[in-house]
Parts: sequence; C-alpha cells; structure tokens
Amino acid sequence: MHKHFSVNCFIPPHILKNIATKGTESQKNLAIGTLKISARMSGQRQALAEFAAATFRVAGGGKDRVIYDARNGASLPGTVVRKEGDASVADVAVNEAYDGSGITYDLFNDMYQRNSIDGNGMRLDSTVHYRRGYDNAFWDGEQMVYGDGDEDLPVDERLFNRFTAALDVIAHELTHGVTQFEAKLTYSQQPGALNESMSDVFGSLVKQYKLQQTATEADWIIGQGLLTENVNGVGIRSMKAPGTAYDDPVLGKDPQPAHMKDYVNTISDNGGVHINSGIPNYAFYVTAVELGGYAWERAGKIWYATLKDKLTANSRFQDCANMTYRAAGELYGAGSIEQQAVQKGWAEVGLSVDGGGTTTPPDGGGCLEALFRLIGVAPAKR
Amino acid sequence: MHVERIKFERTGGFAGMRIAKDLKLDDLPDEQADSIMELLEDLDFEELPEKLKNEKAMPDQFTYTITVETKKGEHTVTTGDASAPEKMQELLRLLDRLARTRKKQ
Repeated sequence: MHKHFSVNCFIPPHILKNIATKGTESQKNLAIGTLKISARMSGQRQALAEFAAATFRVAGGGKDRVIYDARNGASLPGTVVRKEGDASVADVAVNEAYDGSGITYDLFNDMYQRNSIDGNGMRLDSTVHYRRGYDNAFWDGEQMVYGDGDEDLPVDERLFNRFTAALDVIAHELTHGVTQFEAKLTYSQQPGALNESMSDVFGSLVKQYKLQQTATEADWIIGQGLLTENVNGVGIRSMKAPGTAYDDPVLGKDPQPAHMKDYVNTISDNGGVHINSGIPNYAFYVTAVELGGYAWERAGKIWYATLKDKLTANSRFQDCANMTYRAAGELYGAGSIEQQAVQKGWAEVGLSVDGGGTTTPPDGGGCLEALFRLIGVAPAKR
Repeated sequence: MHVERIKFERTGGFAGMRIAKDLKLDDLPDEQADSIMELLEDLDFEELPEKLKNEKAMPDQFTYTITVETKKGEHTVTTGDASAPEKMQELLRLLDRLARTRKKQ
C-alpha cells in the first residue's frame, strides 16, 4: 500500500463528503478524488456509485425538478413526464407542479438563501394524477403528491378542482419538506398545528411573491381556486380571518379558530392540526400587516429563522411566540418595530411573548427586587 | 364471512374535512356489494392489523378508518394513503367515492 493512501484514511469519509459538496472547487476535486480512491481500495462500488450520483446532483446546481404521472394509480412516484429544463407539456397539472415548485424554490433561495428542501440542492419530486377522485395533496416524506379533485363525480356534484391549481398548495406541500429537515415538528396536536401553519405561511408568501403583492394587497386565502362553483366558499382557509373561508350546506363551515380561547380539542385530524393552525396563521398575518410592505421580507424572514433555528419537534404555540419574538430581536434589534409587530401578532391570538430583555418589567417585578426578597430585605410595598 | 355493515370514515387531508359513510351491504346495488365483498375477502380483512399507519409522518395524507361488521363481531382497520397495501387501494377508492357521493343529496 502506498503511503499517501494511509494518510487519506485519517479523514473520515463523511468529512470528505462534506468537503466534496461544500468546499471550494479545488477542495472539492481533491476530496472527490480521495473518496474515489478510498472507495476503490475498499471495494465499495456501491458507495462510489451513490456518491458519484450525489456529487453530480449538487454540482448540477440548485433547482432540479422532476414531475411524475401516477396515471390515476396509487404507486409512487410513477412515470417521469417532465424534467428540469424540459419545455412545457400539454398536461396542465404537470406544468403547474413544475412551475409551482420552481417559484417555491426561488422564494426560499432568493429570500432566505436556502438551496431547496434540505438546504443542499435536494431534487424536487412531484407526482400528479394520483388515484382517481383524489381531492387532496400531501407530502410523503420524500416527495409531493397531487390528486385531480373529485373529477370522478358528475360535474354538478364536484366540490374540488385539481390540487395543483393553487400555487399556495404546492408551496404548502414543499414547506412540509423544509420543516421535516429543520424543526421536525411532530405532526400532532400543537406541534402539528405549527407544522401546518408554517406550510400555510410560506404557501401564502410564495403566492404573494409571485404576484408581487404587499401584505395589505394579498388575500391571505389558502387554496383559492380549489373549490368549484358548487361550493359557497373562497378557499380552504383564511389567514386573514380564520373560520370564514367557506360556509356551505355540503362542506359545512370552516372550523378554524383565530384565538386561543377558541382552541379546538379533538382527536380527529391528528389533534386538529388543520384546525388550530388558524391561531398561529392569524398571528403571522397580524405581524405582516403591522409591518406592511412585502410579507416575505421581514415577517417571512423572522418566521423562517424560527423554523430553521429555534423550533424543535415538540414546540407549542407559546414556544413559537417566544421564539419568533427572539428571532425578531436577533435580526432587527431588541425593541425594534419588527419585534413589536411580532408581539402584537401573538397578543391578538391571546398569547403574550416571553422573550425577555426588551420590555420594561412591571412594577415590583425587577430582578434586583427579586434578589432582595430572596435574602429577606424586600423594599416596602408602594 | 357475511358482512352486514361497513362504517367508513376519512379525516385529515389538506383541507382537514371529515367525511363518513355507514353502509348496509343489502342496500347497495348487487354489483357494488359483490365487488366490496370480493375486495374484503381478497384482502383477508379480518386478519389485517388494526393500524396500517406508517412510522414516518406524511403531512396532509388522509386517515381512513374502516369497520366491517359481521355476525361474529366487528373489525376496524386504520390506514393512511401511502401506507395502505396495493390490494387495499381499490377498496379505499370505492368506499371513498360512496362517501363523497353521499355529500350531495
């Protein structure tokens, strides 16, 4: 064995892989070369092949979309019908999934410097025409999946259009992927409702970004265009006025609360994740409108920083209130108008932030006084 | 196995709306009842575990709960979209369609 090979062995493969994907061009080449040699030496053909594919993907740059067609079946991902850079096709659902995941990639990349779902150029896979009469869209842990609505019913009974028709639905699903790689919010109860709310927040922001709308110009409706004309409703949810998106004899009434006092306790829907998300949704809306301008800029940046660096799997609404407040302080300064806007947003839904440091302590609540009390020399009550 | 009733419930999904259907097999057209029976037998429904949900979370997926009542008793199975075995997909599609059709009456 040559000596320089044994030197290579001192650098663990995972570190080399990191250098290969994140280092400078010459570092990358060196690391890739080393990895190839190590892999050959140890006969890890499989590892080499996988690694070559991975580096190729990253080297290929950022946006990399693949759209599949399930052809009304249930197996995923289905047949490839459009890849990155391909011209548009005759199938409108395919183009919507392609364009929608593209602009979602753009918002995260341009505004929050995030390269795709995993922050590392992960390919964006979407499947359209999932099953028949499938009035839904979901994130399966690896990809986005879209149904065509209830196209299997007679026209006058249809309630839903195809789910790619609404850009915010596409951005909502992709954001579930981002959350999976960042805060990893458990999909149940309050953490689940926060997971849902993050998807609605960035879902709506992507749409506003596309339309170049300010916070006051935006409609803040989630899934506008998803309901057919047979339904009395404007969309699936309203971030601006939770609980008002639809009121229909067949679908019932939008059940979302906008305040903690109306929090819905249920075991259904993983503990009401699509219901109670109305509360953090409204907090975001109030914050964004309070700040004015484009919501993806300051309010979006605060929420993104919170999702990325502050929330964890079991975070609850109060944690999100505290953490967005803290993130606003870190980004824009303690006591800044941004931080005040966040505080107001949560106050409107019945949560007071506990971020510390910026608000003057209430009478008798001072640190020094607490210490005095502890050692038994508390000053007399005023 | 003689099936008397099937209770179907679908919750969750992007819209978070619940739909449900309580079916008496005798009330269905013969052809439909036959295909449901055939699918249940093919699946060995009574032997399926109560939960077919995946370990990993799949945000916005539907959750389906199917209860089949026979003279011997009842058996309930809960599953998600992607966690349902291939053989179960057709049964889900059929019951789901019946539940959605009922909405308009």
